[in-house]
Amino acid sequence: MSSQDSQDIETATTAIESAPDTKTRRYDRQLRLWAATGQSALESSRVLLISGSATSTSILKNLVLPGIGHFTILDHAKVSHSDAGNNFFLEGYNSIGKSRAEEAVQLLGELNDSVEGRADTRTLGSILKAHPEWITSFTIVIAHNLDHTLLNELSALLWKDAKYPPLVVVRSAGFLADFYIQFHEHTIIESHSEISPSLRIDKPFPALREHALSLEFDKMDSTEHGHIPYVVILVRALEDWKKSHGGSLPKSYEERQQFKKGVLALKVKGDEENFDEAETQAYRCWTETKVPSEITALFSDPALFIEAMDSNQSPFFHLLAALKEYTEQCDTHTLPLTSTLPDMKSDTHNYIHLQRLYKTRAEEERQVFKSYLRVPVDDAMVDSFVKNAHALVVLRGKPWGTFDEDKAALGESLSTMPKETCIHLALSALSLLQAGDTSVSPSAESIRAKIQSIVGQYTELPDEADDAIGEIARAPFSELPNTAAFLGGMVAQEVIKMITKQYVPVRGYCVIDLIETCTGTIGA
Amino acid sequence: MIKIWSMKKNEDAATKKRPKTSAAQIRVQKDLTELDLPPTMKTNFPDPTDLLNFTLTITPDEGMYNGGAFTFSFTINTNYPHEPPKVKCMQTIYHPNVDLEGNVCLNILREDWKPVLNLNSVMVGLQYLFLEPNADDPLNKEAAEELRKNREQFLYNVKTSMRGGNIKGVTYHKVLV
Amino acid sequence: MATEINVNGAATSSDWQDRYYHVDQILDRPGPRTDPSFLAGDEVKDFLRNKCKILVIGAGGLGCEILANLALTGFKDIHLIDMDTIDISNLNRQFLFRPADVGRPKAIVAAEYVMKRVPGVQVTPYYGKIQDKGDDYYLQFNLVICGLDSVEARRWINATLVNLVDPENPESLKPLIDGGTEGFKGQARVILPTVSSCYECSLDMLNKPTTFPICTIANTPRLPEHCIEWASVLEWPRARGDEKLDTDDPEHIGWLYSIAVARAKEFKIEGVTWSLTQGVVKNVIPAIASTNAIIAASCCNEAFKIATSSAAYLNNYFMLIGTEGVYSYTFEHEKRDHCPVCGGEALEMPISRDWTVEQLIELLTEKQNIQIKKPSLATPGKPIYFQQPPQLEEATRPNLEKKVLELVPDGGEVVVTASTLPFSLSLIITYI
Repeated sequence: MSSQDSQDIETATTAIESAPDTKTRRYDRQLRLWAATGQSALESSRVLLISGSATSTSILKNLVLPGIGHFTILDHAKVSHSDAGNNFFLEGYNSIGKSRAEEAVQLLGELNDSVEGRADTRTLGSILKAHPEWITSFTIVIAHNLDHTLLNELSALLWKDAKYPPLVVVRSAGFLADFYIQFHEHTIIESHSEISPSLRIDKPFPALREHALSLEFDKMDSTEHGHIPYVVILVRALEDWKKSHGGSLPKSYEERQQFKKGVLALKVKGDEENFDEAETQAYRCWTETKVPSEITALFSDPALFIEAMDSNQSPFFHLLAALKEYTEQCDTHTLPLTSTLPDMKSDTHNYIHLQRLYKTRAEEERQVFKSYLRVPVDDAMVDSFVKNAHALVVLRGKPWGTFDEDKAALGESLSTMPKETCIHLALSALSLLQAGDTSVSPSAESIRAKIQSIVGQYTELPDEADDAIGEIARAPFSELPNTAAFLGGMVAQEVIKMITKQYVPVRGYCVIDLIETCTGTIGA
Repeated sequence: MIKIWSMKKNEDAATKKRPKTSAAQIRVQKDLTELDLPPTMKTNFPDPTDLLNFTLTITPDEGMYNGGAFTFSFTINTNYPHEPPKVKCMQTIYHPNVDLEGNVCLNILREDWKPVLNLNSVMVGLQYLFLEPNADDPLNKEAAEELRKNREQFLYNVKTSMRGGNIKGVTYHKVLV
Repeated sequence: MATEINVNGAATSSDWQDRYYHVDQILDRPGPRTDPSFLAGDEVKDFLRNKCKILVIGAGGLGCEILANLALTGFKDIHLIDMDTIDISNLNRQFLFRPADVGRPKAIVAAEYVMKRVPGVQVTPYYGKIQDKGDDYYLQFNLVICGLDSVEARRWINATLVNLVDPENPESLKPLIDGGTEGFKGQARVILPTVSSCYECSLDMLNKPTTFPICTIANTPRLPEHCIEWASVLEWPRARGDEKLDTDDPEHIGWLYSIAVARAKEFKIEGVTWSLTQGVVKNVIPAIASTNAIIAASCCNEAFKIATSSAAYLNNYFMLIGTEGVYSYTFEHEKRDHCPVCGGEALEMPISRDWTVEQLIELLTEKQNIQIKKPSLATPGKPIYFQQPPQLEEATRPNLEKKVLELVPDGGEVVVTASTLPFSLSLIITYI
């Protein structure tokens, strides 16, 4: 072990922290999900909510609590009698007649001192005309039950430029709801995937191979033997196998069973758990370490074309370009090695030694990877990118409303996910019927006719349509407190994923049925 | 309110009363009354109406711990069998898998506990520790080292400890019967 | 319609016109999937607002949300139980609490807040354990909603509500709605005690908290977690004796942390931090406002539908995973056949007042439809006669001669276990 290493340990473990500060304690339960990086992204975000409805304030509550930087409620309405009854962020009867935005901002602000809130009582129409740049200055824009015409204008504005903020469109009536996130492109490094990266047992790097071959299993005492990490056992067993099989891996089912038996035959005592672990993990020997197909697919992303890479491309695509080059150039044609070793039966010394081998190699590969970077990228980001290289995600979106204009896609969706599609269409029909006059109370017949005109006269509506239409006709203006709260959680969750660029947001229209209590996604 | 009563699947079920005893309590009764212990193991309930706290004495009739009587306390909480019983050795003994505080290293008492296991499996597991002490995954490292490197010395130490003797500054409980 | 809230002249001064405009659209007419027994209009509103009594267990992450939702939906008689006080780490999601409330009982603060914000709602808090309350207490409610983080408390309330079901009294069946969350994941379910699958039926679906072998902790630590458990499981009792480890005491966490750091240094293990130490010893579960909002809303929505019959309710399990897109799964969890809580049936057993315990056992062994080999008998909390272990057999043997009447009251319960029974059998003893 070099002195360099022990010094690292020294500095890593002697800097004793004191008890965390108030802010860390307050956010402890969420920092465990998105860490300081996610938190700082939230804290620098600015969220625009169009309307101060119960759904809107529920969404905001779940964003103010975890600590976004700023929110604005844009709403020119005065608190009505019915608002005062279904919105927790109004002072009941006392708020009636006052500005809905101002009342809600005041009460939402009380949830978290570090969040800045503003009420804006202008109309959206006037801003769209005179100050569209005000809208595009936000990090993300959310609109609940917005008038159809205004919504079209708003979504068109925000789609104009890929740099403009994403738009979340939320619609609800009674027990039914849906929402959609309009965005051009969303890149994710920390997807928090549950898939773990390869340990490269099938393609051991030289130091690992040498280490595995240098150990003399038969000269160990029973304790040592019972604590050889499975990674070492497998590398060793696979080398032996290849020697006696002309260099090839266990291929057929029979060969693989034979390999596993061979691993177990290495035991000197029946209860050696490390050899049992090796048997369970033996699949790693014949699961070839290569670039996962999802990542290979990203390598042909148009953003990587030379023209696109010039100047103002995001660091993500520079990292992706470097990754592509790395996998083409390196002799294993794999992603850079992970430095994280899972826990396994082993004594401390063997485990720490193995961990160090992985760390050292990972660092070497990371340096090679870095040499392919054309622009300087922050070291922490490079680290995170390499660590998550097996689970990177690039999402490309469509403008709001394109699904409803695509009769073929709607027809397909009606046959594969009839219930969800019918709910979505019924909400679309309601929105169209109320365009320009939100006080219209449409009949079941008019909703059905409108849906039919959306999907085209030759598409037959499934039986599920009646359920959706009936519920919408029953309660076209109803914003149920529970539906508002449910949507408040759902939408806030997705907004947090968008802002932090961690975890994977929903694609397409997320449809919610609170009668059967289920959700589904269509039109992705 | 919805009329749940009418949904009861058959009239019969509706006329049957439900037991009032807690699930943990019944499960402990079941575990205890179906114990099938060899003569080398004996339970002792200081209060026979309290089934959740008792001791188990193991008197191995073979192996290196032959001649000793080893007592373990069992504490079962109301979350049984979702949680395993808490078991501790009540004496200071010289054993590779039991430390001087009485902690016992037995997989089914911690990481491998499953609700399908029962008190009988735990007791059998404990007895096995005295027949086959495991030197490779020890709790008392010195004892384990001795067992691995110098079996004769280990056996001698076991005898000394069982007599209530002193090994390397530690005085052990006299457990000879 | 929406203005006619003062049904039966029972309006409170706080019921202003159109207050329930949104909810009333649902209560004034059925939807296509509404049960025909739904009584649209005044009757259902009167029940919801003036008669229905609901119990909320837990005033934490879910509880705060549940309370607010119920109040807005129109439940006016809400009871709330919670045994905890407010901690600063609650404030990222438990939105009824402010920094100044830290240290105060959750139930009381939450009740005060909701009553202030939603006029006319009565929230009756109880700062204490659910186990403090008996059957009479639980019998007064129409519905129970649980937002708990403890398996033990859930098992207790589940068993209590199953046991409450009295065949002579339909009112004794209390629907139990249970929610739980962890990070971006959560679940909500409806339990109709004795009718549908209960909490105990699904106990094996639970993930076990991670535990490490004690010999790994003692001898072959590899992970920072192993060093932390070394400090808390082995070193704490050694160094601090009988002093109870309080995972909320910063001094205690600080002590464990410094011991764990020293241990990690000795073994060259990286990654012991204050936050990880706290996470491991307290078994901290990540929690955010948004997931709690979804699950709590789902629970309250079921309560609303069940209380009003205005729409079909969840049958019976909703599971949500929000880490990758929005994935949810709604399914019917099946009742488990020999569920120790809802699967066991109690058998009415009328016997003569003169019968001895021995005679009862003989009957159990010989009677055609029972035929139990070597039965062991106990009343709740006290053995009558045990076949094993020998000490208890001996201690209970004198009972064989005694009359059953001396040990079991009329209508009392006897739990029978035997290796030939899949689980157990309960007898209700009556004397003739």
